[in-house]
Amino acid sequence: MNNLLSRTILLRSLLISITSSAGFITLFYIVSLSYLTNLSSEQQHELVDYIEEVQSFYDDDGLQSMLTELDLESKPFWNKNQSIERLSDHEAIFSITRGNTLLVGSEVDIPFEAKPTWSYLDFDNGHEIKVLAYSKVLEGTLLLKVAQPRSYETELASDVLINVGMLSSFLIFIMAFLISYFANFRSQRTLLDIKKQMHVIANSPDSSRLSVESKSAMLRQLASYTNEMLDKISALHGTTKTMSTGIAHDLKTPLSRVVNRLQSMRQDNGDTQAIELHINRASQDLNAVISTFNNLVRLSAIESGKHKQNFELFNLSELVNDLALSYDPVFEDSGRKLSHSTVDNVICFGDTDLLNQLLCNLLENALEYSSADANVWIRLQSHTSGALLQVGDDGPGIHSDDQPHVFERFFRADVSRSKPGNGLGLSIVKAICDVHDAKLALLPNQTGAVFNIEIPVSSS
Amino acid sequence: MNILLVEDDLDTAAFIEKGLVQHGELVKHVATAQEGLLVASSTEFDAIIFDRLLPNMDGLDAVKVLRASGIITPILMLTALGETVDRVNGLNAGADDYLVKPFDFSELYARLKAITRRKPISQTELSLSLGDLVLERTSRRVTRAGRQIELNTKEYQILEFLMQSPGQLVTKTMLLEKVWGFSFDPKTSLVQTHVSRLRNKIDKPFSFELIKTVRGCGYIISDE
Repeated sequence: MNNLLSRTILLRSLLISITSSAGFITLFYIVSLSYLTNLSSEQQHELVDYIEEVQSFYDDDGLQSMLTELDLESKPFWNKNQSIERLSDHEAIFSITRGNTLLVGSEVDIPFEAKPTWSYLDFDNGHEIKVLAYSKVLEGTLLLKVAQPRSYETELASDVLINVGMLSSFLIFIMAFLISYFANFRSQRTLLDIKKQMHVIANSPDSSRLSVESKSAMLRQLASYTNEMLDKISALHGTTKTMSTGIAHDLKTPLSRVVNRLQSMRQDNGDTQAIELHINRASQDLNAVISTFNNLVRLSAIESGKHKQNFELFNLSELVNDLALSYDPVFEDSGRKLSHSTVDNVICFGDTDLLNQLLCNLLENALEYSSADANVWIRLQSHTSGALLQVGDDGPGIHSDDQPHVFERFFRADVSRSKPGNGLGLSIVKAICDVHDAKLALLPNQTGAVFNIEIPVSSS
Repeated sequence: MNILLVEDDLDTAAFIEKGLVQHGELVKHVATAQEGLLVASSTEFDAIIFDRLLPNMDGLDAVKVLRASGIITPILMLTALGETVDRVNGLNAGADDYLVKPFDFSELYARLKAITRRKPISQTELSLSLGDLVLERTSRRVTRAGRQIELNTKEYQILEFLMQSPGQLVTKTMLLEKVWGFSFDPKTSLVQTHVSRLRNKIDKPFSFELIKTVRGCGYIISDE
C-alpha cells in the first residue's frame, strides 16, 4: 500500500516536472530561434551592403581596385580544399568569372543567387557547409559570386544557446520534480495518516474514531462527517445485535416449541385429550410469533411516517381520561392502583390510534414491571411549549445500567426473558413519539420508572 | 348464506371454504380479481370475501369497481396490511369490514355475520331488549327484570354492541375496534376485565346468564 502511494507521488511529480521542462524548452526554442533569425538577416544585410561597396569600387576604379578591397590583389585561385579551409575559418570565398572563365577565386561552384540566400555547398566527400550565397553581375559577363559561412558570432550564439537551453531545462526538470514531490508528499502524508487510522477503525469500529490535524478545512470536515457516520452505524449495529438476539429468542423459541408439539402429537396419536392440549399450546406459541411480527411490522410502519396522512386535531385530555378509566379496573384487578390527573382541553395534532397505543404500552409496561401493589399515575399538564404527559410508578424502577437501552428493540431488562412480551412495546412508544415530534425521556433518580413525554401542541 | 370467496392463496381459500361449509354455508371460490368481478356481477350473493393482495389487480380497486357498478353486497376484505391507514382506505373503497391475516376462523365468521345482518333496524331502534334485559338508547338506561343497572361508559358500549347481534359471536378484536377504536391488540386483558365487570352487574344478581364466553374467541349474548 505504501509503495503504491509513493509510486503515485513519483509518477505525479515526474509528470509535473516533464511538463514544466517541456514548456520551458518550447519557450526557449522560440526565443532562440527568433534571435538567430535576427542575426542571420543582419548578416544578409551586411553582405548586400559590402558587395554594393565592392561594386562601387569596381565602377569607380576598375577591377584591380575591387580586388584590393576584397583582399584578392594577388589573384589567388582556391581549389576545393583551400575553399573548405577558408570557410572553416569563417572567411568568405569569392569567384569572379567572365563568361565561363574563372578569373580569380574559388573553383567551387557557388550557386547563382540574385538575393543573399542560405544554401548548402555540397563537397564530394559528403561534407556540406551552410553558406550565405550571393551573386552580382558587375558588368556584361563579369560575375562576382560570394559564399559567406555563418558569422563567428552566430555560430557562437547558437552553440551557447543550445548549451544554456539544455542545462537550464535539466535544472528546471530537477527542481520541478523536487518541489512537486515534496508538495505531494505533504498532502499525501495526511491521507496516509487517515488511511492508517481507517485500518485501525476497521478492526475496532465501535471504539476508535478519526482524528485529523490538517490545515485543510475540507479534510477536517471529512473526518468529522466520517466520525458522525461511524457513530450512527455503530448505533445501528448495536440495534441489529440486540435484534438478532431478540429474533433468535422471541421467534425461534416458540417455533421450536411448535415443532416439538407436532412431534408429541405424532406420539400421542389417538389420545384426543393430549392432542387437544398440544394444539392449544402450539396455537399459543404461534400467536406469540405472529404478535411479535405484527409489532415489528407496526413499528416500521410507524417509523415510515405513513400515519402522518391521518393526523388531525384532537382532544388529548379526553383521550387520556378515557383510557385511564378503561385501565382502572385492570390495575385494580392486579392489586395496583391507577390514578390520573389531567388539565382540560389539551388539543394535540396527531393520530389518535397511535396516541392510544402509546399510553396502552406505557400502562402495560407499568402493569408488568411495577411492584404488585404499586401506585401508577398518569399526569397531563400544560407545559411551556406544549403538553407534558407523564406515566410513572413508585417502584422498583429500572436499573440505571439498563436505562439507556429501554427504548431499543427487543431489549429486556430481564435477561432470562422469562416474562411475557417481546421487548418491542417501548420501541413502539419511542417511534410514536418521534413521528409526533415529541420528546420522550425516562426520568433519572426516581423511586420508580417515570416516563416523561413533551408533546408539541398545535397552536391552531 | 351464499358466499363468494375471492382469494388467490389456495391454502387460505381451502381453510375458509371448509369452515364455511361446516357452518352450512354455500361457497363459490374464484382465484382472480377478474373472475371475482365477473361472477359477482352475474350472480347474487349474500356476502363477498375479497382478498386485498391479488395478482394483476389490487382488491381495493376491484371493490371500487363493484361498488361503482351498483353492487351493494356486503364485502369483507382480507389483507396482510393491518395499519389504520390501510383499514380506512379499504372502508373508503366500499368494503364493509376489514380483517387482517392471519385470523381465527371464528373471527372471520363473526365479522361475516355482522356485516350481513340487516343493519338499518338495529341502528335506528331506540331500545334493544333481550329476555328481561332492556337497553334504552336515548337515555342510556339499562334495566333487567325491571331493576335499573348502573353501567359506566365502556360497559354500556360493550353491552350495546353485543345486543345489536343477539345470538352471534362478537370477538375480542371486534370489541377493541368498535368500543375502544383500537387497531392494535393490547397485551392485557382489557376486554376481559370490562366484560367480566359487565357480567357482574347484569348477570350475577340474576339466575340466568345472558352473556356467554366462547373460549378463546369472544362472547355471545343470548337468552336461550
